[in-house]
Amino acid sequence: MAARSRGSKERPGPRRRVPEPATVERADTRPAVVVRRTLRSGQEVRFDGSVIVLGDVNPGAEVVASGDILVLGALRGVAHAGATGNPQAIVAAFRLAPTQLRIGNVVSRPPDDSSPPPDSPEVARVRDGVVVIDPFLPAAGS
Amino acid sequence: MVGEVIVITSGKGGVGKTTTTANLGAGLAHQGRKVCLVDADIGLRNLDVVLGLENRIVYDLVDVVEGFCRLRQALIRDKRMDSLYLLPAAQTKDKNAVSPEQMRSLTREVAEEFDYVLVDSPAGIEQGFRNAVAGADRAIVVATPEVASVRDADRIVGLLEAAEVPPPQLVLNRLRPAMVKRGDMMSIQDVIEILSIQLLGVVPEDEQIVVTTNRGEPAVLVQSSRAGEAYRDITRRLIGENVPFPSFEEDTGFLSRVRRLMGFGQSS
Repeated sequence: MAARSRGSKERPGPRRRVPEPATVERADTRPAVVVRRTLRSGQEVRFDGSVIVLGDVNPGAEVVASGDILVLGALRGVAHAGATGNPQAIVAAFRLAPTQLRIGNVVSRPPDDSSPPPDSPEVARVRDGVVVIDPFLPAAGS
Repeated sequence: MVGEVIVITSGKGGVGKTTTTANLGAGLAHQGRKVCLVDADIGLRNLDVVLGLENRIVYDLVDVVEGFCRLRQALIRDKRMDSLYLLPAAQTKDKNAVSPEQMRSLTREVAEEFDYVLVDSPAGIEQGFRNAVAGADRAIVVATPEVASVRDADRIVGLLEAAEVPPPQLVLNRLRPAMVKRGDMMSIQDVIEILSIQLLGVVPEDEQIVVTTNRGEPAVLVQSSRAGEAYRDITRRLIGENVPFPSFEEDTGFLSRVRRLMGFGQSS
């Protein structure tokens, strides 16, 4: 629908009122940035808020966010969520295979014996002071 | 105790600086020396990957130089050897993030706690090279027996002279004795003739190095590796032992062996 409204005639499309964030239950109203590309080695995204990557984060690339980090692709580089010290932040990815994960002040890395990469979305969070990784279950609401 | 700072450099890329740095570091640590490897290739770091330590990096060289963390916080201990450490390069910055003066004081600080500080230089002759060389007491030039590599190595030897680093030593990498014999590759003597620097060691071409490098384990620790054996010899020469050079002629045929016995071989 958005594409059609770009036509030659300037006809306003049906206007739907966007609900105020506060009216959505359990919504995160902090700012977020959407990165529409793959982050390659040496590239870095830092943001005071959450970061959503529509692409991969390759080894040698880094995402640092004060909020959550969501990668709609493979996360193979370094991700630091809750970088200002928020242990409640999460890191989620379609393929969560990071070089290193940091959440708040907790640093973790995968074991040296390489396990096969996951083929379903996963989410990492801090529980009892350590980073744990669970399958991403939409119902659980992360 | 103040250790020795040795820069490993080459001019040309892809000739084996990082592999040499990792293997000499592991070799020296294996000999009981306390070694710190410094990755001076800011923006294109590799040494951490070759050592299999990439996932342990939290702080890097630039963080130390900028005073964002202490040296001790940035040093990563090797997972195999207790006396081998790595100071990783930053990946998301560039070579201009550090100045030669800062590198000089950094390597000096590192040298206070280690027997050897091996600095892995980036390719090229620009700022990154100048940084890597800044604090060096000694230099090792890596070259392969190819005209372009030797040309670049020669340029580097000249720049090292200008930087008043003592005369460098040569590691000749990826030598294929069979090709030399056929006259299809420069020989050790050919290279030495041009560079006229002291030969520290010769590393034969070895497919296994690809395997060990990808696995993140230095070949010098693998007994069966031919390149590893060469690096073990180089390590011992580095610490002052007198290790004879192998002939690299093992795979010569019967006839040539006979010729050599009769004194006709070794025509170079």
